[in-house]
Amino acid sequence: MEQQRREPAPETEVTLREFTEADAEALFAWASDPRVVLFQRREAYARVDEARRYILDHVLPHPWYRAICLGAVVVGSISVKPCGPAGEEGEGASRASLGYRVAHGHWGRGVATRAVRMAAAAAFAEWPWLARLEAVADVENPASQRVLEKAGFVREGVLRRYVVLKGRPRDMVMFSLVDSDRDERAKPKLLLQVKEPFELNKE
Amino acid sequence: MATEVTLRRFDLSDVDAMMAWASDPEVAAFCRWAPFASTETEALLAHIRDTALSHQWYRAICLAGDARPVGSVSLEPTADPCRGELGYVVARAHWGRGVATAAVRAALAAVFGEVEGLARVEALVDVDNAASQRVAEKAGFRREGVLRRHYWHKGRVRDLVVYGFVSGDPLPPSHEDEVCKPLTRLGLVRPASHSVQRTRLGDRWSEKRQPGRRSARTR
Repeated sequence: MEQQRREPAPETEVTLREFTEADAEALFAWASDPRVVLFQRREAYARVDEARRYILDHVLPHPWYRAICLGAVVVGSISVKPCGPAGEEGEGASRASLGYRVAHGHWGRGVATRAVRMAAAAAFAEWPWLARLEAVADVENPASQRVLEKAGFVREGVLRRYVVLKGRPRDMVMFSLVDSDRDERAKPKLLLQVKEPFELNKE
Repeated sequence: MATEVTLRRFDLSDVDAMMAWASDPEVAAFCRWAPFASTETEALLAHIRDTALSHQWYRAICLAGDARPVGSVSLEPTADPCRGELGYVVARAHWGRGVATAAVRAALAAVFGEVEGLARVEALVDVDNAASQRVAEKAGFRREGVLRRHYWHKGRVRDLVVYGFVSGDPLPPSHEDEVCKPLTRLGLVRPASHSVQRTRLGDRWSEKRQPGRRSARTR
């Protein structure tokens, strides 16, 4: 992503809503852009029809997939997918994974950061079983890593050869936002500072 | 010096040996499965049939000169075709002797040649399971971080240490490296030969993989 000095989008302007088939052209705008799909599994779309099919086959049945809107314009998408059967013990039961894409013309304005914060809040509010929300960013995608950090995710490490993108295994940085992170942030900050030293129990 | 182990496929006749670790609550403590009752031979036979025998990569751990298995090591599919998750378990009577370390090392040495498309093997170990963390580290895994609140296990959500090993990472010397190869060079021992049966990371892998479900061992 190029370094661009842009006006940040006013926070109130960014909203999330469900997709409809009518959003196919808007989705095609970024799904056909090689710069946007560079770090995604799929190749760039060549026809609007592919975007329409994607909405029908993948987006509408998805557990949580939203359009990112700037005012009335759809500028990207964000999705959260539970990793396992919710509410049952075992593999994936307490976590979900998050992914997002924004049209190139709206990069550098804080749109993705705002959308990630909103999606994270919605996921934890809607799913009481959720303990961990995770997201990965390619090691060569520092812009996406910054989005997650600014949205409050914690960087956990680099997982080598973690996912196959465009036929090649890629190293990915793993980020997570967990229930206790959010509890910590919700606590009121301590304003008083203890100036004099005091003695604890000597055991 | 590294312990000597061999890995082989399971057989139904291994059920009694397997019961030694499959029924042990101490062994099962950090595992994703609940222990079998020692009388549940039929259930364990069914488990061997449905899991170990039909699994893409599931091996019995045998000590040198002994045909009876003392544990198992297996590679589980994940959401990505390039990575598999290694699980390993050893009967308590053989803890503390480097058996698991040797078995994991042998698995890492073998698995990239036997599973097509594999680029990464990972191990996820409970943050409180220091012994298993030591096994992973001594066997050649690299510690990559801690996945917080990652796994819901026996009533609690757990943090797991994530270890990764990619094709090309260095392996620590094995018993063969330390003992057999020098003897072979001196002409005292014939070199071992073994055929490698390669599997495809294709149909059987994805058949086993159910979204959000583990194919092996959870009851």
